[in-house]
Amino acid sequence: MVLAITLSELSRVLVLGVINGAIYSLIAIGLVLVYKASGVFNFAQGEFGTIAIYGSYISITTFNLPYGVALVVGLLAALSMGLLTERLVIRPLFDAPRVTLLVATAGVALLAIGVEFWRTANDPLKFFSSIVNSPSSLDRVSPFGVAVSDQRLITLGVLIVAAVLLFLFFRSPLGLAVLAASQEPVASELVGVSVRRISTITWGLAALLGGAAGLLYAGGSQFSPGLITAAVLIPGFTAAIVGGITSLPGAAAGGILVGVLQALGSLSTFDSIKGASFVSVFIVLLAVLLIRPQGLFASRS
Amino acid sequence: MSAPEPMPAAPTALLQTHDVSIRFGGVQALRDVNIQINEWEIVGIIGPNGAGKTTLFNCITGFYAPTSGRVHYRGKDVTDLPVHQRTNLGMGRTFQNVGLVKSSTAGENLKTAQHLEVDYDPIAGIFGSPRTFEVEQHTTDRARAILDLMGLAHLESTRVQGLPYGVLKRLELAAVLATDPDVLLLDEPGSGMGPEEAEELGDLLLKLREEFELTIVMIDHHVPLVTRISDYMYCLNFGEVLTEGLPDDVRRHPEVVRAYLGDDPDEVH
Amino acid sequence: MAVDDKELTPRDTEAFTPTTAGRVGRAGAAALIAWLVLCYPTNILSPFTVGGVEANAASEAIIFAVIGLSLNVLIGYVGTISLGHQAFVGIGAFTSAYVVTEMRQEFFIAALIAALVGAAQAALLGAVSLRVTGLYFGLITLSYGIMTQESIFQIESLTGGTAGQPAPRPIGFESDFRYYYLCLIVLALVVFLDWRLIASKGGRALLALRENPRVAATWGINVKAYTVLGFAISGLFAGLGGALLAHRDTNVVANPFGLNLALVFILMTVIGGLRNRAGVVVGAAFFALLRNGELLEILHVDSLFARDPINLTAEVMPLVLGPILLLLTITLFPGGFGQLTNAVGRWLRGGRFRFVKADKEVQITDVRA
Repeated sequence: MVLAITLSELSRVLVLGVINGAIYSLIAIGLVLVYKASGVFNFAQGEFGTIAIYGSYISITTFNLPYGVALVVGLLAALSMGLLTERLVIRPLFDAPRVTLLVATAGVALLAIGVEFWRTANDPLKFFSSIVNSPSSLDRVSPFGVAVSDQRLITLGVLIVAAVLLFLFFRSPLGLAVLAASQEPVASELVGVSVRRISTITWGLAALLGGAAGLLYAGGSQFSPGLITAAVLIPGFTAAIVGGITSLPGAAAGGILVGVLQALGSLSTFDSIKGASFVSVFIVLLAVLLIRPQGLFASRS
Repeated sequence: MSAPEPMPAAPTALLQTHDVSIRFGGVQALRDVNIQINEWEIVGIIGPNGAGKTTLFNCITGFYAPTSGRVHYRGKDVTDLPVHQRTNLGMGRTFQNVGLVKSSTAGENLKTAQHLEVDYDPIAGIFGSPRTFEVEQHTTDRARAILDLMGLAHLESTRVQGLPYGVLKRLELAAVLATDPDVLLLDEPGSGMGPEEAEELGDLLLKLREEFELTIVMIDHHVPLVTRISDYMYCLNFGEVLTEGLPDDVRRHPEVVRAYLGDDPDEVH
Repeated sequence: MAVDDKELTPRDTEAFTPTTAGRVGRAGAAALIAWLVLCYPTNILSPFTVGGVEANAASEAIIFAVIGLSLNVLIGYVGTISLGHQAFVGIGAFTSAYVVTEMRQEFFIAALIAALVGAAQAALLGAVSLRVTGLYFGLITLSYGIMTQESIFQIESLTGGTAGQPAPRPIGFESDFRYYYLCLIVLALVVFLDWRLIASKGGRALLALRENPRVAATWGINVKAYTVLGFAISGLFAGLGGALLAHRDTNVVANPFGLNLALVFILMTVIGGLRNRAGVVVGAAFFALLRNGELLEILHVDSLFARDPINLTAEVMPLVLGPILLLLTITLFPGGFGQLTNAVGRWLRGGRFRFVKADKEVQITDVRA
């Protein structure tokens, strides 16, 4: 194995890693929110993304809505899925063992994938257009000499905006209530915070984040049923756990970290190892789970 | 019931703790606790909430490892032994929030509790050796007998989940007896009981001691109950032994009275 | 007898004797079930003609039942989750194929070795579970499953690469029909072992440590050792299932043993009803038949749903129906198929037909020591 890595290859890989990592961060933040609210790893988090894609796609192709409106429709589709899940699945299982809840979220994900297969049985592979669609705008910006498409820049921008919005949200009264409810549900109820409302809000928020992640990931490429679960959920989980499953900033940082590590696995030096970028993510997950399960940035409770 | 019958020989120390201390983070939960339980005694441990009584039980039974100090059982240092091995030596224990397998029936709980008595290899059990069937029948019979003794025979096939609290406590006691213990460590057996029930419990414990040749250590807040049946008492406060001695002496000790916030000791619940 | 069968009311326990007509009906139903299982798939004493393809589909149902029982030990008795169970099965499949093809042993030796290898790797995971618990352990099993498929199953010398590892049928059981009986025999064996497990100290120890490990320890149970034993038993059953699967297909490839299969296994076990042997067997068989399209064919409804505007083809049906059944089972009908098998079983044994709703899962709260 020759260890010669050109600087340009490295910078290309790193920049792409950061941008992919941004998407993992969105998913990871959603996972952490749900974990704080319901105490479970939400296996359906990825499908919030895929459903958003399908929602937008159908708006564009079947209903001929403009791109921007279609994106909103997609997000609404994800939001409805999240709220329905919370109401029909999570709430009845409030007292159930956490493992049961985990299986239930897996069931929700499978159902979403099943429905996606159902409605696209004839032609599962589709193409989702990117936000800015003109060929000349491709590769306009080049940080460190790396060509980055507008689509990817927008992705990074959305994450920064989301991070700022979340930061402000958790300083607001409602946001503080969400945090309080996740740490001390009984005490929160006593001071008038409705744990049920918090649960609904949290799941809605997580669904929107998942939806946004899906729309950004699929922009300009093909998609098929279960895409976001297959491609983004595991790195997203790893990011959430690396960051410490209860830490929101940790999730964001973890996402970038995982994105970069995964990108490093795609360097040409590792070509001989099959699925190296895949395996690198798993090694990180296993290492964290076995050595420091509370994550690298865990908040002390 | 009158005072226990005089012992024929000098009492043997069954259970001893030597300077047991334990620290959780910044809190010193136990400090240099020395207690001695002699065979066939009933020893009472009282003290306000948070005094460290259950923590002491946990150290004795092996759920916690003391930061310093040793636990001896029949002269043997058991401080490093895991919980299930201490049960094998003869320690039996009940819990404040009732230790039972709630999704199983009373009968199954009693059979499970006989785990150490069931005399075949678990692998042989899976393959269904003829011996297994024999031993299983014996186990079932014994479970029934103990349930009958505690007046719970009618619940053999009833799921534990949802049974009344008093019944659960009796069932838990039955299960512990099924482990064939030498010493019973009872954590608040009288909780939730009124004065008449507490009296009955006292009689039951005395009877069990006779019939099963048990040693009993009990934590409880029913000071009258504890005083009546104990041969010796300890009072803990803030993780230390405040005082020890004969029940009446301990009960009237000014520090003990003060520890219970100045209440008349007989009124303490 | 189902483990969960405790919801008897006075109406159930009062003496009830069926009428003569009732007895005849029950005997007839029992005979019908026996015939369906023993005769219909192999054309023995049957007016119908069933092909080898259908017999293989029936074998798959039986094999899934074995795998369901395996997963039931892990989720239902030990109380942990396995999102990588397809790896247990796959390892059994490849081991059996390897032993027959490369080591030139008989199938029965191969199956035994597959079972033992399955038990060993499961026991290793069990040891890991002692350090990493709950949801985190679930993620480890997830990684384990996917990693096994991506790495171990790709080692050509062990698994034959893309062509796969051949797995010829044992002598005397070459035909699809005979092979079905072989699968039934293995299922009977596994059911027996599972029955004895629960009726013995090992099973009781598992059920106790699942719900209340501190109390289990207080009763003298070595929680760590029994946890690993539980894993080993689960791996044993899974290895047997894998061996059966390998020789049914007569060739093993890595492709099917992915996350999707893991989720199918969980689906069918939970829908079957945890800790309910008959429920798990029926649930798994049901799901296998749904998945390979046989069920819809037998009921002649395959074309019904495939038509416009519903457009639900036989391939997609299990992808939609499965999760729906899972969610219904978890939220509304915790006993799953087990509730049904309990009711039918009770009826066949001479009682009333009573559909009793199972209690919700007992919240696993350990005592505060």
